[in-house]
Parts: sequence; C-alpha cells; structure tokens
Amino acid sequence: MWSSMKAQALDTNRGDSLASSHVMELTNVSKRYRSGGGVADVSLSINQGEVFGFLGPNGAGKTTIIRLLLDLIRPNTGEIKLFGLDSRADSVAIRRRIGYIPGDLGLYERLTPREILTHFAYLRDKIPWSKVTPLIDELDLEIDKPVRTLSKGNRQKVGLVAAFMGDPELLLLDEPTSGLDPLVQQQIHELVRRAAFEGRTVFLSSHILSEVGEMAERVGLIRAGQLIAVERVVDLAKRSSHLIDISFESPPDPNFLSSLEGLRSASVVGNQLRAEVSGDLNPVIALIATAHVTDLSIREPGLEEMFLTFYEQPHA
Amino acid sequence: MPRSAPRNLHSVFERSMREVRRSLLGWLVGIVGFSLIMLSIFPTIHGNAGFAQLINAYPEALRKLFDVSDYTTGPGYLRSEVFSFMAPLLLAIFAILWGADLTAGEEERRTIDTLLATPVSRQRVVAEKWLALATAVGVLALALEVLLGVVGPLFKLHVGWAPLSAAIIGSGLFALSFGTLSMAIGAGTGSRGFARGVSAAVAVVMYLISTLSQLVEWLKPWRWTSLWYHALGFDPLSHGFNVGHLLVLVACVAVLVVAAITLFTRRDFSN
Ligand SMILES: Nc1ncnc2c1ncn2[C@@H]1O[C@H](COP(=O)(O)OP(=O)(O)OP(=O)(O)O)[C@@H](O)[C@H]1O
Ligand SMILES: [Mg+2]
Repeated sequence: MWSSMKAQALDTNRGDSLASSHVMELTNVSKRYRSGGGVADVSLSINQGEVFGFLGPNGAGKTTIIRLLLDLIRPNTGEIKLFGLDSRADSVAIRRRIGYIPGDLGLYERLTPREILTHFAYLRDKIPWSKVTPLIDELDLEIDKPVRTLSKGNRQKVGLVAAFMGDPELLLLDEPTSGLDPLVQQQIHELVRRAAFEGRTVFLSSHILSEVGEMAERVGLIRAGQLIAVERVVDLAKRSSHLIDISFESPPDPNFLSSLEGLRSASVVGNQLRAEVSGDLNPVIALIATAHVTDLSIREPGLEEMFLTFYEQPHA
Repeated sequence: MPRSAPRNLHSVFERSMREVRRSLLGWLVGIVGFSLIMLSIFPTIHGNAGFAQLINAYPEALRKLFDVSDYTTGPGYLRSEVFSFMAPLLLAIFAILWGADLTAGEEERRTIDTLLATPVSRQRVVAEKWLALATAVGVLALALEVLLGVVGPLFKLHVGWAPLSAAIIGSGLFALSFGTLSMAIGAGTGSRGFARGVSAAVAVVMYLISTLSQLVEWLKPWRWTSLWYHALGFDPLSHGFNVGHLLVLVACVAVLVVAAITLFTRRDFSN
C-alpha cells in the first residue's frame, strides 16, 4: 500500500518535471461523428519508450483516437501533441517519426507488395531497400504476387513491414494481430518487444487483455468513447479475476477452495467445481495440487467481465 | 526474380501512373481505333459531290446542330465527325472517371490511411495526383494529334497544324477541367459515384448550352458560361488558337485545382 502510493507520487513527479518526455499527450480530446459515436474528453500521456496497450470492446473508440493522432480526422475540442508538436499544424513533421498500421488495412490491389513497400519506403524519407528486406525475410513474406491474390495474413504482413521499416520512433498499431494465426501473432509480439527494447514507443490497440498484457507495461481502458482507466499491467493483473473449472472423480466439497483469500464465488455442478478467484493464482494451484483432479481449466474473464471486476472492487 | 526495389514508384505521381497504366493503354487503343475508323471513311467522302448535295439538303437547324458544314474538306470533316462530340467526350469520360478515383477511390479502398500517415502533405498528394491526371489526358490528346495530323494525310485528310492543335488542346483542357472537377468533388465528399455523376452532368449541360446557342437566340448571350464554347464551340478548326478562350480554360482548371487541394486538406476522413 505504502509502496504503491510512493510509486504513484514518483510517477506524478516525473510527469510534471519532464513533460517533454511525453511522446504523446492528449488533453480533453473530443471527437463526435455526425452519425453519433466518437470519443469524449480523453486525456492521456504516453511516455517515451513505453509499450502502451489501448484496450476496449468493439466500437469503443480505439481507432478514432489513433486516427486523430495521425490528423486523418480532427478533434472537435481538445489538444493533441506528439513529440511536443501540434498534431494538426506539424502533422508532416510528426508523421516523419511514426510507423502506422491501420485496423482496416487497405492496399493497392493492382500492385505487388514489393511495389507497395518501395513506394512507402520512398514516401517515408527514402528508407533504403536494404533496411526493408530484413523485415520481409523475417516475416517470410512473398512480395512478387499481386496484392489481390494474397491471404489476409500476408496482406497484414505487408502492412506490418510498412509500419516497422525505418525503425520509427513511435509505432501506432491498430489491432495488429486481429485475424492472424498464432505464429504471425508471435512474430508481431517479437517486433513490438524489439522496438521497446530499442527504446522506441509503441501504442497498440486491442480488445484482448491477455495479448496486450503480454506486451504492454500500461494499458488504457476505453469504453463507449470514454477513457475510463489507465493502469499498469501488473496492477491490473493483481485485481482481475480468473474463472476456474476443476473436474473431480466424484462430486467435490463446495468449500474446497473456501480458504482462498481471493475467492469470489464457487459452485458445484456434478463432478465439477466452478470458481472465480481474484489476485495471485499460486495459492489456487497449490490447493488444487492436493486433490485428485481429472480436468482443469483456468480462463481469463472477458473484457467486459474484467471491467466489472475492476469497478466493483475498491481501489487499493 | 528481381531482388531490388522497382524504380517507378518513388512518388505519388509515379504510383498513380503505375496504377493507371493498364487502363490508360485500353483508352489509347480505343482512341486509336476510333481515329482510324474515322480516317478510313474519309476518302469516300472527300470530294464526293453527292455527299455535299446530300448535306446541303438537310434543314439548316440540323446542319448547325450536327455541325456538318463543309463536310467534305479535312477540317470540316474533323469538326463534324471527330470534335463535335466523340473525341472530347472520350477524353472527358476518361478524366471524370479517373479524377474521382484519384481522390474518393483512394478513400473508398481505404488506402488513404496509410498514404496520409507518411510524411507527405495533403497538398502535395493532391498536386501530384492532378499532375498524373493531366499527364494521362495529355497522352490521350497527343495520340489523337499524331493520328489525325500525321496518319491523316495518308487518308487524304489534310488539316493545318494550328487548327488541329487548337481543337485538340481545347478538347484536352475541357476534359481536364471536368476531370479536375471530379477530383475536387471526390476530395470533398469521398464518394466516387457522386463526383462522377455531378461532373458528367455539368459537362453535358455545358455541351448543350454551347451547341443549342447556335439555334436558340436567347441562349447566345449565355454561351460564354459554357466551357465547351471556349474549348470547341467557337470553332477552332476554322479560327485556330484563340488566346482569350484558352485563358478561360486554363484559369478554370487552375481554380479547380486550388479547390481540390483546399477540399482535400480540410477533409475529415471519417466516411
Ligand atoms: N467514420 C465514422 N463515422 C461515424 N461514426 C463512426 C465512424 N467511425 C467510428 N464511428 C463510431 O465511433 C465509435 C468508435 O468507433 P471506433 O472505430 O473508434 O471503435 P474501435 O474501438 O476502434 O472499435 P473496433 O474494436 O471495432 O475496431 C463507434 O460507435 C463507431 O460506430
Ligand atoms: Mg478499430
């Protein structure tokens, strides 16, 4: 408790004294689409060199925020600064330092990936081709077939190479892994980790907590256009709960897990015990190990469930 | 398999030309085919007294509407068969279709996000795209000029370079005006269909104003509002270049380019 308050105080100090170390700073940003929807009054700062996960269900406003950062759409109110520059007036200078993959990637269907990547390398201040090929090889991308013949995964790889080439200071990745097989997802995680290791900043949207948790240090939770929380992943994991299904050979004792501090609920159906447990999983595993178990599953709750847990609990 | 980067995609202009390459080739084939057909018919009409009589028997209103005066001479034939409608129309259709595609098409296909995430200003994107449009229209116009001016004499069709060039430049600038209009509306709305529809409608209205003003007295004072009049309605095949009309066309294109850039720059890409 004391240590977390201290850490918070330190964080605040850092924010105040080194405002210029914020790669990205949104202040009371609102964007309302004519047909309704959008984001309201979002304030958020991203530090230099961090991986920030931007989490929210479909239609929450993740893409809206990212497109605002790129000046593709303009806010109704509020201020957006990147690298200390104004998102609108200095957009070209800002974009010089950004790599971006949109959530809904469109590619020039008549061109080949080689042509597309050459084009973007040139537009992005003539990134030499020798810096593009390692990424192509790493992702094992076939680059001489017309884009329209590529599979979804290979199209996404074209977008990824375009975003990561030239090692931009800031990466804006809008649901980069959605619809991809686990292997490609792992490759993306690897690219993100490497960027972070090199001190570059990554802003990553997703609606899967576990995925973001694997890569990000902090996450922002957005729902219905409102940024409702910004938390460090370690804190979030401590508070969020897991759903545990344990199968036994015979109907178990409903109080089998009742000694656990984080137990929220438990119920028995047939030979199965279903429980919701928050916090550390180690005591749960230790307890389960004492019994004869035929099957076991531990799941993370969905995003909505997690939000609920998050707000039911008093903040420590 | 080439291991290097292609050289023809270094800018938005080059990429636009690369993307239109195949379609432009199709239009070229069409224009060459059309010109050759028109030329191959000419020798049977040229100096054919029967045709002259036939034409003269038409009511005057019809002769004016279809522009068939001195049908049997080179310039007269070109005026009524090539430049009265078909050649400028072909160029304008191409320009209107591609103009909207350059702005709204890029948006509809969702490639605009990655394009505008690169450090290229929106002004520059539109300027280069317009340059590509002008180049493509220029290529088609040049093909027409070569066919009618160089291949034409082989079919006994003789026309002075100045009148022919004036008619072709008029057609090209007419097409470019509406192509640029289509581009500007596409930039402002993000809808290809809307941009093409409106541009085509305005082009048709202007064609009608100019053509009908020869028949309808009260329209005559208004014919200056028609770009068609400044492009072809004033009869460049008889009068050659006219600086005034040329300036109107150029100014019109310039204003539309500025409009396209302004609309694109202000645009919130949220469709
Ligand atoms: N171009 C648009 N015009 C009108 N409304 C829009 C537009 N884009 C988004 N919206 C609305 O704004 C809200 C936020 O949308 P946004 O695309 O930012 O969500 P998201 O978090 O990216 O969702 P997803 O996970 O589905 O990608 C939604 O209610 C959506 O319907
Ligand atoms: Mg989205």
